[in-house]
Amino acid sequence: MKFIPDKDILLFKSCLVNVEYPGVESSTRYIFDRINVDYYVDERQSCCTGLGYYYDIFDQISTTALAARNFNIAQETGHKNIAVMCATCYTILKKSANILNQNEEAKNRVNEILYDSHLEKREYTQGDMDPILNIFHVAEIFFNKREEISSLVKVDLTGLRVATHHACHYCKVHYNDTIEGVRDPNLIDKLAEAVGVETIGWYDHKRVTCGAGFRQRFTNKEASLAVTAEKLQALKENKVDLLLHMCPNCQMQFDRYQPYIEEKLDTEFNIFHLNISQFIALAIGADPYKILGIQTHTVPIEPLLKRLNFSLKSNKKVDVEAKKSLN
Amino acid sequence: MKTIKLKKESVQLVKDVLKDIKASSDLGIYKCVQCGMCTSVCPGARETDYDPRDMIRRVLEDDETVIDDDNIWNCFSCYTCNSVCPCGNNASEINQILRQMSIDKGEGMKKIVGFAAYGDSFIELGVGSIPSNFFDVMVKDIGLGYMDLKINIEDIRADLGLGSYILPKKAINEVESILDNSGFKVRLEKIKRCK
Repeated sequence: MKFIPDKDILLFKSCLVNVEYPGVESSTRYIFDRINVDYYVDERQSCCTGLGYYYDIFDQISTTALAARNFNIAQETGHKNIAVMCATCYTILKKSANILNQNEEAKNRVNEILYDSHLEKREYTQGDMDPILNIFHVAEIFFNKREEISSLVKVDLTGLRVATHHACHYCKVHYNDTIEGVRDPNLIDKLAEAVGVETIGWYDHKRVTCGAGFRQRFTNKEASLAVTAEKLQALKENKVDLLLHMCPNCQMQFDRYQPYIEEKLDTEFNIFHLNISQFIALAIGADPYKILGIQTHTVPIEPLLKRLNFSLKSNKKVDVEAKKSLN
Repeated sequence: MKTIKLKKESVQLVKDVLKDIKASSDLGIYKCVQCGMCTSVCPGARETDYDPRDMIRRVLEDDETVIDDDNIWNCFSCYTCNSVCPCGNNASEINQILRQMSIDKGEGMKKIVGFAAYGDSFIELGVGSIPSNFFDVMVKDIGLGYMDLKINIEDIRADLGLGSYILPKKAINEVESILDNSGFKVRLEKIKRCK
């Protein structure tokens, strides 16, 4: 298996984690702090451009130039390893590193853009960022430290029927770098196992996209949500309580739109959605509101926590609002 | 068996695709055997008339009308085609290249003008976001709780021990300067004018 680092890590901020599920970042930090991962967050880091790239608004050279700037920030602070919380950041950064290392003409053009922007200090030199040795999803970092995670488990999460959704942009783009399976992805299943939960494993539609499809959610909504609905139906047939995610865009598609799809199809799925970082953080004792950030979810997580006999008094202000939303 | 016969003089489109900056160095379009694995696993093909196998055939046959085919805009960019291709081809990547060709020709700009707000907010803040023009429909679909989330996001982040997600001014200036010199700003203005 490829080498996975636990130090010199830049935790790469994600646009959708920032404003949709910020609890994914606080959960990731909570776990990293407890399994001795040396990481750093840099406020100067720009977004990867991923949504804009797949809306076809961003051109490749602009995306690559911004990646070169972010790679330089990682390096100048001594954090040459990048860990992402979003699968699209993962694929965009790897693609950009490949272009910078393999396409001299593109690399020269990027450096020209940096010079013209008076950013000579951020010049990219071939090999500065190795897409295989330096760019990871946080789930891979957890996987490498799964024994330490196991030793920290405080909460019994067994008794739930759990399934996993492995993000396409982690599994299917740079698939030679993917760990724990591409056609039968099991990375998140093994992380659930590390906190004592056996998932349902394979199910029909396991490797199918969430359906967001970037522009499709907005310009082709019926097709987009039909794909999501089919996956939810497959999960319902398997009596799944909880779906685990590794990408905020997938999480949005399922969590934000599940009630909408339920109404349209006049059905109930009753499936909860958590990111793998939130799930592990919950298992090792993190607060649902102050760390997991469940107050930003559309499908309320409180009923799930009640099933697990959680006391929900940690954040009274938010708790009242959460209860209101349940009524 | 029907085979695709590549004429020496009629491979301009595939050559243009392969020399595009987006084309991976190991992109295996010439190795395509038209097996149809890509189409069989494609969510776009399942829900619409998009057909990645046919798109690849048309590129190999130098059929430039594929660039103007509305169906190329139905790809979900999920790369499932890429992950199952036995030949190392990547229909998703080729789709993205064809879309950029369509944008360069002008026609494709009409397809993406609705997403232009993404570019504006990126230049302004250095961060990506769902384009603001989709906000109303999302609130309608998801509920008023979604609006509350947007209003309270900074407070929620503070409760979670997270700082502001907006870049410091100096960093935003660096990003803006890069996007100016890369030609992105000019590109975005062109896209916006196509309204």
